[in-house]
Amino acid sequence: MEESHPAEPPESGFEPKIVAFLCNWCSYAGADLAGISRIQYPASIRVIRVPCSGRVDPFHILQALQHGADGVLVSGCHPGDCHYLTGNYVARRRFAVLNDLLEFCGIEPGRVTFAWVSASEGERFAQLVREVTARVKTLGPNRKLMLEPL
Amino acid sequence: MSREELLRDRCRQLLADGAVAMVVGWRAGSRSGTAQPCFITKPEDTAQLICDERCSQNIAGYLARVKHMGKLAVVARGCDSRSIVCLLKERQLERDRLHIIGVGCTGIRENGELSDACSTCVQPNPVLCDEMVGEATPQPGAIAKPAETGPTPDTRWQELSAEVARCIRCYACRQACPNCYCPVCFVDATQPQLVGKTTGLSDNMVFHIMRALHMAGRCVECGACSRACPMQIDLMRFNREAARIARERFGTSAGMNLEEPPALAAFDPNDPQEFIR
Repeated sequence: MEESHPAEPPESGFEPKIVAFLCNWCSYAGADLAGISRIQYPASIRVIRVPCSGRVDPFHILQALQHGADGVLVSGCHPGDCHYLTGNYVARRRFAVLNDLLEFCGIEPGRVTFAWVSASEGERFAQLVREVTARVKTLGPNRKLMLEPL
Repeated sequence: MSREELLRDRCRQLLADGAVAMVVGWRAGSRSGTAQPCFITKPEDTAQLICDERCSQNIAGYLARVKHMGKLAVVARGCDSRSIVCLLKERQLERDRLHIIGVGCTGIRENGELSDACSTCVQPNPVLCDEMVGEATPQPGAIAKPAETGPTPDTRWQELSAEVARCIRCYACRQACPNCYCPVCFVDATQPQLVGKTTGLSDNMVFHIMRALHMAGRCVECGACSRACPMQIDLMRFNREAARIARERFGTSAGMNLEEPPALAAFDPNDPQEFIR
């Protein structure tokens, strides 16, 4: 059974892999706007486009952490702006439970980040990715939930 | 007459009158000090019924499996009745096909010791019943036991790792839980496979996190899963945390109110969202 390594400093030159679940209608368009506006942000994220933040199952987040992600970013429309009217409200309750359970289990705060980003917030999206990347860098590689090689 | 005799009499009467097709309750188990669920259709068999500290199963979990028999009479304590309320809300049972016989509970004992779940019981008497047999138990004071957690993420991880590393993934907890009625459980799903089937720490932790997540707003903290666990994993620790989250974030306690929608099937536009950036 793998022990966690609380004392070990982050590996030098560590570039985190962050899986980003972005809602098609807001956050994905926000990321697109950051791109076409040529705003620079770290190339640490791997974007998965989902129809709505309500599509993101807690399993998706945990599986990303199990299979190699150092961090996960989940982003959707601001409350009230959901393309499907209430998808993000329902998702918010699920995320609240997952967030608290991860904290309870000892997954470091910041490993999984939830955010609301609208389609017009290109700069905000870029800033978010900068901050999440910096946070995961200080946390170091994800060792707790990573599957052991067979 | 003792409460047990009153209960047997009442159940005999219900079956003899044809008011119900089956009585669901407990009888003595094959080992001394244990009980097992029983499904009685003949009035004379009601003499088997028991209702005491041996009855460690949550009886609500057995109702859906025999609901095709017709109207059921069920013996229910506080936690059993809360689970029945959950199942009614989730449309797994029909209210008019149940006759709930309420009993006050004084706690389940295992090997002479009060069960851990019962030590923090807040509802020994049924929240929903058609009749009470025997005396109600005095309502305990507020004894909400805080979830035991270490101070830092790493200590919490180490403590819980030690618990879940013992898990052999037998799913006895799922079988014992009245809330676990999905035709295909997430652990059995293969297309897509949602969680690995190994007993490695990662898969075990994901299983226990997701089990707890599915319990938020639904777990009545009866402790049936904990008592069923062959590895003595402290499942109540996860359950209490799930219940705490539902209580503090959404203001709901599972199975206390038939009118309230299930916590994760509803939302409030003003739900707290301090954890979202």
